[in-house]
Parts: sequence; C-alpha cells; structure tokens
Amino acid sequence: MLKESLLYASVGELAKQIESKQLSPVELTECYLERSEKLGPRLNAYARLTPTVALEQAKLAEKEIRRGHYRGPLHGIPYAAKDLLAVKGIPTTWGAKPYADQVFDYNAAVIEHLKNVGAVMLGKAAMIELAGGMGYTFASASLQGEARNPWNTTCWTCGSSSGSGAIVAAGLAAFAIGTETWGSIVCPSAFCGISGLRPTYGRVSRRGTMALCYSMDKIGPMARSAEDCARIFAAIAGHDALDRSTLPVDRAAFTYSPAADLKSRPLRIGWLTNAWKEVDPGVKKALDAAHKALAQHFPSVRAASLPDGPWEDAANVILSAEVSSAFSELIRSGRVRELTDPRGQIAGYVNLTISGADYNTALRLREILQGKMTELFDSYDVLAAASLPVPATPLNLDLDKELSFPDPLGGIGNLCGLPALSVPCGFTEKKLPVGLQFVAKAGDDMAVLQAGKIFQQYTNWHRKHPTLN
Amino acid sequence: MKKHFGAVLSRREFARRAALLSATSFVSPAARLDLPSDIVGDYQVDAGGPKLSPEGQAEANARYQQVLSLYGDRLNDEQKPRVKKMCAELQKALDHIRSYELQNGNAPALYLKPLYEREKRQQSTGATGKP
Repeated sequence: MLKESLLYASVGELAKQIESKQLSPVELTECYLERSEKLGPRLNAYARLTPTVALEQAKLAEKEIRRGHYRGPLHGIPYAAKDLLAVKGIPTTWGAKPYADQVFDYNAAVIEHLKNVGAVMLGKAAMIELAGGMGYTFASASLQGEARNPWNTTCWTCGSSSGSGAIVAAGLAAFAIGTETWGSIVCPSAFCGISGLRPTYGRVSRRGTMALCYSMDKIGPMARSAEDCARIFAAIAGHDALDRSTLPVDRAAFTYSPAADLKSRPLRIGWLTNAWKEVDPGVKKALDAAHKALAQHFPSVRAASLPDGPWEDAANVILSAEVSSAFSELIRSGRVRELTDPRGQIAGYVNLTISGADYNTALRLREILQGKMTELFDSYDVLAAASLPVPATPLNLDLDKELSFPDPLGGIGNLCGLPALSVPCGFTEKKLPVGLQFVAKAGDDMAVLQAGKIFQQYTNWHRKHPTLN
Repeated sequence: MKKHFGAVLSRREFARRAALLSATSFVSPAARLDLPSDIVGDYQVDAGGPKLSPEGQAEANARYQQVLSLYGDRLNDEQKPRVKKMCAELQKALDHIRSYELQNGNAPALYLKPLYEREKRQQSTGATGKP
C-alpha cells in the first residue's frame, strides 16, 4: 500500500519515480482506485469508475516502461475525465438524466491524446448537468447529486467541473480534465484549492466533447500545480483537422520544458482593481498576502482595470443563444423537464426567444472588446485578481440569490477566449481555500503558467491538502 | 384551449394588446390567437426582478407571452413566475447591449473560421483512406 502523501504528489514527482521504475503504474492505479471507491461516493466525485480500463492501461504502461519505452511525463499517471468527454463503450451522461444511457463508439480527441501519452483513465468525473448550460439554482443539479468539497464536506466544490475539482483535491487521481464555458474550471479550482488552467479558446480540440456554447467552450487540466497543468496541457493541446474551431498547427501546439528559465521573460502584472465589487474578508486577507508575494517576486505589479461596457451581458446573450441551439431538441421536445434543477427545467424556453439580431449585436461587441483587451495587454503580460470573491459555499445554497454577483473578468475572459490559471493562495479562517487567478492575452497560455509557477515557487499553498478519513 | 378574443375589446385594450404583440418580432400566428388572459393584463415584471424601461417591460412581457403561447402547457404555477422573471433578466441584458453605440462597420467576432481548402483536402483524403 502506497503512502497517502504519494497520492498527493505532483505529476512531475510521480513521473520521476515511474520513469526510474521505483513506482509501479499498476500499484499506483490500484491505490487511486481503492481510495476513489472509498471516498468517491462520499464526495459524489465520480460519475463512474472504470477499473477495467484503468488496470488495462496501467499494465500496458508498466510493460512498456519496463521495456524501456517511456512515453513521457504522463506515462502511467492516473487521471479522471469529466463526464462530457466521450469514451468509447462507456456511458457518457453529460451529468443529465436525459442522457443517462448515452454511449458513444469513439473517444473524444482529448481522451485519445491522453491515451497516446500513456495516461491511465480511472473514471468519469461527476459534473453539473449539461455543464450548467441550461442554468441551475442548486449544487444538486447533477445526476450524482451535489459534489462535496473535500476541505469541508458541507460545502460545494463549485461547478460545472465539480467532480474534477473534488477528485484532485481529495487525492483520488493525480489530475483531472475539466471544461469551462464560463467559470467551470476556475471556480472549482479555487473552491477546492487546486491549480486549474482554462486554455485559450481553440488550443484544445473539442471533438467528441459535449458542445454547450460553440464559441466559448474550452477544455483544460485541473491538477496540483501550475507546472502539472503545463505538462498536461502540452499533451492535449494542438490543431485538429476534424475540429474546425481549433487554431492552426503553429498556434495550437504547446510545448513545455521544466528546464526553461522562468525569469527569461519578466512578466508585467496588472493587479485588477475592478474584478469584483465586494470581496469576502477572509478572501481579501489571503489576496492581500498574494499581492505582496507578487510584488516581491515579479519585476512589475501595477494597478489595472478592466474596460467598462456591457461585456458580461454580451457573453450571457451569446451563451444563452448558443446553448438553446445546442439543446434545441431537448427543449422543444419537453424532455428538458427531466433535468434535476428547477431553473434548468425552464430557462431553455426563454433562451430560445433570443433573436438573431441580438445575438449578432453581442458578437459585434465581442469584436470591440477584443480590441480593448489587446490594448490592455500592451501594458501588462498578465492580469491578476481573486478567482472568486467568496470561498466555497454551503451545499444547499440558492445560487440564484447567494452566488449571483457581477463577474466581469469571467465574462471578458471567456468572451474573448483568454487563458486563465487559478492557483491556491491561502485559506479563510474557516479553512476554506482561496484562489488567485492569472489571465493573459489569447494564445499566451505560457504567461499564466509562468506566473503560476513563479508564485508556487515562493508559496506552498498548492502543497496543502485536506484531511479525509 | 382558451378563447380570449371572443369577447368584445375596447379600443384601448385592443391597442394595448397590439403593442404587446408587436414588441417581439416572431410571435407565431397561433400564439397570437392563444394569449392567456391572465397574462395580457399584466405589464409589470415580478417584484425582485430588474427595473426596466416601459419599452423594455413591454418587450419582456411579450417574450413571456411568447413562451407561454408555445410552451405554457408544460409550465406549472410555480414555474410561470420564474419564467417571467427570467424574461425580465434577459431583457435587462438585451437593453444593455443594445445601448452600446456600434458603427455599421463593427463586424461580429466569429471564432469559427471558414473551412480552408487545405482542410477540405485533408478530410476528403482521410475519408478515402490514404495508404
């Protein structure tokens, strides 16, 4: 039986031991499976475990490594995939009752990429139904029920990559794959005290992944550190001729070398003063400390502000219109009533009424905003702010009333397809994690990863983990 | 099916209903004939909803009527006020984006790029099975 600390080790640390044959991928997989079977149901973390697939992949990895065929840092590393990524022959439920029996006969591109580098899929991570696209009021809006936060099981993980957040934070896998249309990687990463990368739109193929909002969906890693996110991102990024939304080959690919000198490119940090209207005092305290750390370790940290404008509303209109198109059949047929959440059961009817003219107006505003953000990034390489202004919320909270505040950074970042990284930066008095978010210009994912890696060189928040019996 | 237009309407009431109906551009003919009377008489959004201009309120109400006309039989009494509030919330967002001054030349930002010839060739090659 492996030590618990090993289950919380980073991908980099595990990879070293696996490559040197000190650690068996099969043994590591068995330990994660055992822990996932024990703790997963308590947290509602998994949609399903896939032990047969996992052990098959782990045995293959072990065999290859013994023969000297080491594929790289993810070879033999166990992970969980959000349950909206198609896996051949295994139910892919999208977290929603109407799709509970859905099985695809192909793998999503991301699953294929991870298979090709030798990663081991432990199971499908629970998620908010339809990634929250139809709207939701309660954390329980999922086939698996509310995902419980490993730091405090009376609190939520946030969504929609809710299971992915719980799995990584609880040490049930070395990393997980999440998706974000608006907040679904950044928020669970912050609430669960882990590192999560929302890549630039178009860098990771979405082939075989549930579409929610065609012009805003992104897929990214959720892991123990910025460096782990970089390693995983390098494995899943790249142009896909079968996904027209991916960027061209030279812009989509991402390479990462840990040996790269982090200080070779001095980052100018813009500390956002208008990202949130109000910040919880516990979050603010951690953020102030993070601000000081940034000022100490980065050459330039200056106050910055997001442009004023109806950007969040434009993002909302685009999201609502595209979701109602993506799930038009579900809504029009009335099967939308099978969704768990009271808001999700009805919001689609309203969204279907958005006119083409209004949708196009929102797209035109996106063009204006892209120009404004390009100008802002002339002065800063990375923008920084709290990932969320509050810590993890109670499980039974009415999200419409209590977790409904303006989120201009999320709106702008997702509307423009900008990369973001959330890293843990402290705890509130109630021992709930606080997240710090870095955002960069489109295509400069390296900047947010570099900022996160430097921050984590001087802090140890990412090494903390919850106590779970 | 309810019948609402069987009763004699005053000129003022007729004008009011006409204004409501024209506030949204694509209410179906069927919907126009099937407006529930309890909705037509109600212009104000629910308490707790966002504040809207009179024009915005009219449009929000028209949108609500449209939803009821098409899907009203699927909504219970608890859901209807929620739908109405959502219509008001959506209206607020629409009013906000429409208020931004755009020039004719401000084109939409579409991420989905056109299908390049190069990609077309790749896809067709893949389909025929290149050795």
